Amino acid sequence: MELKSSATLPERALHIALKVEGGKCQRGDGAGCAISSNSATTPGDMTERGCTYAGCRGVVGGPVKDAIQLTHGPIGCAFFSWGYRPHLADTDFHMKYTFVSDMNETNIVFGGEKKLLQSIIEASREFPEAKAVFVYNTCSTALIGDDGRDVAKQAEAIIGKSVVFFECEGFKGVSQSAGHHVGNETIFRQLVGSVEPEGDFSRTINIVGDYNIKNDIRTFEHLFEAIGLRIVTRFTGNVGVDDLKIMHKAALNVVHCQRSATYIADMMKEKYGTPYINVTLWGMKHMAQALRDTAAVFGLEAEAEVVIERELAKIKPKIDYFRQRLTGKKVFIYQGGPRTWHWIELLRELGMETQTAATTFGHEDDYEKIFEQLDEGGMMIDNPNVPEIEEILTRRRPDLFISGNKEKYLAYKLGVPFVNGHTYDTGPYAGFVGMVNFARDIDKAIHAPIWQTLHKKARPAPVAHHSSHGFAHGFEEGE
Amino acid sequence: MSCITTQERAVAINPTRSCAPIGAMLANYGIHGAITINHGSQGCATYPRHQMARHFREPVEVASTSLTEKTTVYGGKGNLLEAIKNIVDRFHPTMIMVCSTCLSETIGDDIPGTIDEFQEKNPDITIPILSVKTPSYIGNHTTGFDNFLREIANSLPDKRKKKGETNGKINIIPGWVNPGDIRELKHIVREMGLHGLWLTDYSETLDGGYYEPRPHFARGGTTVEELRSSSKSLATVAIQRYIGGEAAHIYERRYGVPAHVLTMPIGLANTDAFVDTLTEITDHQVPEVLSVERARLLDALVDTHMFTSGLRVALFGDPDTLEGLVGLIAEMGMVPAFVLTASESKPWAERMVELTQELGVESEIILKGDLHELHMRIKANPVDLLIGHSKGKFISDAEKIPLIRMGFPVEDRFGYHRRSIVGYNGATALVDEITNVVFERRASGVVSNTLIELGVEGPTSIPLIYKNGNGNGKN
Repeated sequence: MELKSSATLPERALHIALKVEGGKCQRGDGAGCAISSNSATTPGDMTERGCTYAGCRGVVGGPVKDAIQLTHGPIGCAFFSWGYRPHLADTDFHMKYTFVSDMNETNIVFGGEKKLLQSIIEASREFPEAKAVFVYNTCSTALIGDDGRDVAKQAEAIIGKSVVFFECEGFKGVSQSAGHHVGNETIFRQLVGSVEPEGDFSRTINIVGDYNIKNDIRTFEHLFEAIGLRIVTRFTGNVGVDDLKIMHKAALNVVHCQRSATYIADMMKEKYGTPYINVTLWGMKHMAQALRDTAAVFGLEAEAEVVIERELAKIKPKIDYFRQRLTGKKVFIYQGGPRTWHWIELLRELGMETQTAATTFGHEDDYEKIFEQLDEGGMMIDNPNVPEIEEILTRRRPDLFISGNKEKYLAYKLGVPFVNGHTYDTGPYAGFVGMVNFARDIDKAIHAPIWQTLHKKARPAPVAHHSSHGFAHGFEEGE
Repeated sequence: MSCITTQERAVAINPTRSCAPIGAMLANYGIHGAITINHGSQGCATYPRHQMARHFREPVEVASTSLTEKTTVYGGKGNLLEAIKNIVDRFHPTMIMVCSTCLSETIGDDIPGTIDEFQEKNPDITIPILSVKTPSYIGNHTTGFDNFLREIANSLPDKRKKKGETNGKINIIPGWVNPGDIRELKHIVREMGLHGLWLTDYSETLDGGYYEPRPHFARGGTTVEELRSSSKSLATVAIQRYIGGEAAHIYERRYGVPAHVLTMPIGLANTDAFVDTLTEITDHQVPEVLSVERARLLDALVDTHMFTSGLRVALFGDPDTLEGLVGLIAEMGMVPAFVLTASESKPWAERMVELTQELGVESEIILKGDLHELHMRIKANPVDLLIGHSKGKFISDAEKIPLIRMGFPVEDRFGYHRRSIVGYNGATALVDEITNVVFERRASGVVSNTLIELGVEGPTSIPLIYKNGNGNGKN
């Protein structure tokens, strides 16, 4: 299976695979092996990928609610990463404020260390209630050789609170995934274990790799509490600096996003012996399994069953209603990483089939999990670029596209129903009750009257006064 | 008299501005079939795409050369050559614009040299490939837009021009506005019986319709052929000094096309100046339609003045928008108490001092400012209204001051990119919106088309207003 839109990019065939007869894998180049992933993007292929800074500042560090989020670099990195990702918390300092050392040309020539130090001091003076300063490095400040670690140390002595320096310059990796790794490592090294609280932590867990998008944690936290567990730290969603410092005290790490946060679970296992389990907190089967697996570690199986039964009973009639409306619909999921495989089962519970599954920065293990769950005929694609996405939407004609904000308007221009899986159209989507929201949004997207109107009433573009250049991105509809 | 202050902090807290590449990308969207390659880290393409998609609610496509650690060490030339080839092969663009980043500038990649090499190796590829310098550490988003226009003016227009040869058009440089603004400007130019050549025109490419099948390139935009003939235009009119002003002068110097650099036509007097300039360039008279629109704006200003006069307003944004906007603010009888920009331009600030003096208002002009600075000013000296882009909402929420959304980005409301703030129609719409916000804010104090001002003591137990529950007024 080769995409026509990538006919001139032979290496892209290695990033595409089909599940063929007998559940075998057939890669785009005809080989029967797994697809390539986590490798450098083809220059100019119109990728959707972001940078290492984005993965660190935007995903892992950004949700920490009482830290000053300071970018060491030029203005743009700070402006664009400010306040759009809905990683909510019970306070909103982290959503409302962004800080930047605002490097100008002179700073680039003569070095930015002094300005960084002054920025940290000024920021902490303006917001004395903040618990720490998180400093994120960028391309330019890394290239000129600013020693941010040293500045952070000096600043810490002056302001008397933690200054955490993230070496997450944008060019460091092939995608934002490298930034998740930097974020995990830095928080682990600099914060985790720096405070030793008293108390009984025998029945406690950390939720690792959930970023509280649109308050996702409200859908499942109380369920863990209902089976008798206490949550110490959420890494990182609705979390404070002090919570991160005592993260090592929890008896178990419950790892949700297994791309962006397994790193810290591994490091905690090695250093503190904290065990971890992998869970999926979306969908009925997975959410129930997550509660069961977590409870089993603590011998609370019976309690878990009570909670599961109660919660499933609450949502079942609603899910049944949506399943009957959604059965047989085909879906193209394209998410950053694990959400793609987290949601295949959830969609199946709604009677839907995942026809195409793609990720921006998934690694080999993500694609193994995707492949395992796909039905025959299912397609898997790594780091798809704009023409490929357009070709999939046009040629494979899914009934629904689940992706993010950037891809949303492309889907709409092609008349394909769309649900925003990155930042959610409404949300939250996690847990049992969140699944009802998810199903409702999917139902709304697919059955909205606008699609009928569009396909009945839309007309071709009027002939422009200037020359036209053929049809979309080098392939033709219906081929 | 107005005063000028410069923010002194090293740290920027809640900046009003973003960085240069997005300006070049936006400008390039105004050329039909043109594609941008951003030479740097992927984030430098993806962040602006995301931001533009949130403002325009359109698919926004920008290619990246995807530089990584390895290419940073050995230079990004190979990636750039490959990217240009891939874009040509897959998209068949009419033009390619390569803009730089902090990364490619700091490692010293020679972008123009690489483009030359590409063109030498691929003589069959004849589309223009432009290079625009846009490192984030120089200037801001407006700098990228302006640099793009300078590059267009320098390298695209046809240099072979016979004496007296003309295309009969007027180059118009709208600068950083919205699709709705460009459409309003087009309306004025069309009604004047003139032909505009738009540098550049993203009125449709970034506010497009739904068509089946989807066109390969978004409809609209200025064509490369038009850009080539722009040296033969009758004149160039730039409505923003800092975006396109210099490009207008390049047209004058290099091709003898007279330059007219104006204040952005926001409000009555500023729109008059724009229309007058068009009548000066040609011998066309102001048509009936525009005269009626102008009279309607005057009428709206009269109708609303009892509710807007004396209101204190804080404005933030780009220098050109602010310069035009204070005109309308003064025409509405309001006081532009704080005028804050991220720019460091002293000449601009001095002109603002003169301008506010002419308009009879007093302002504090804040240079190099950010939104935290503005917030502190407002806390110390409250205002009635805040005007600026969506990030002003944090001040608006905290201080319970209404925010009139304007500029870029407006990401938390729909359709602002379709609106216009320029021309007589744009001003009238803005007068209505501002007045309505005042009414809405004091909703419980509005009876029919009048407002009840509170704070009056009287010897009666009759409540001054009826609490109808929908007012969130400060009273």
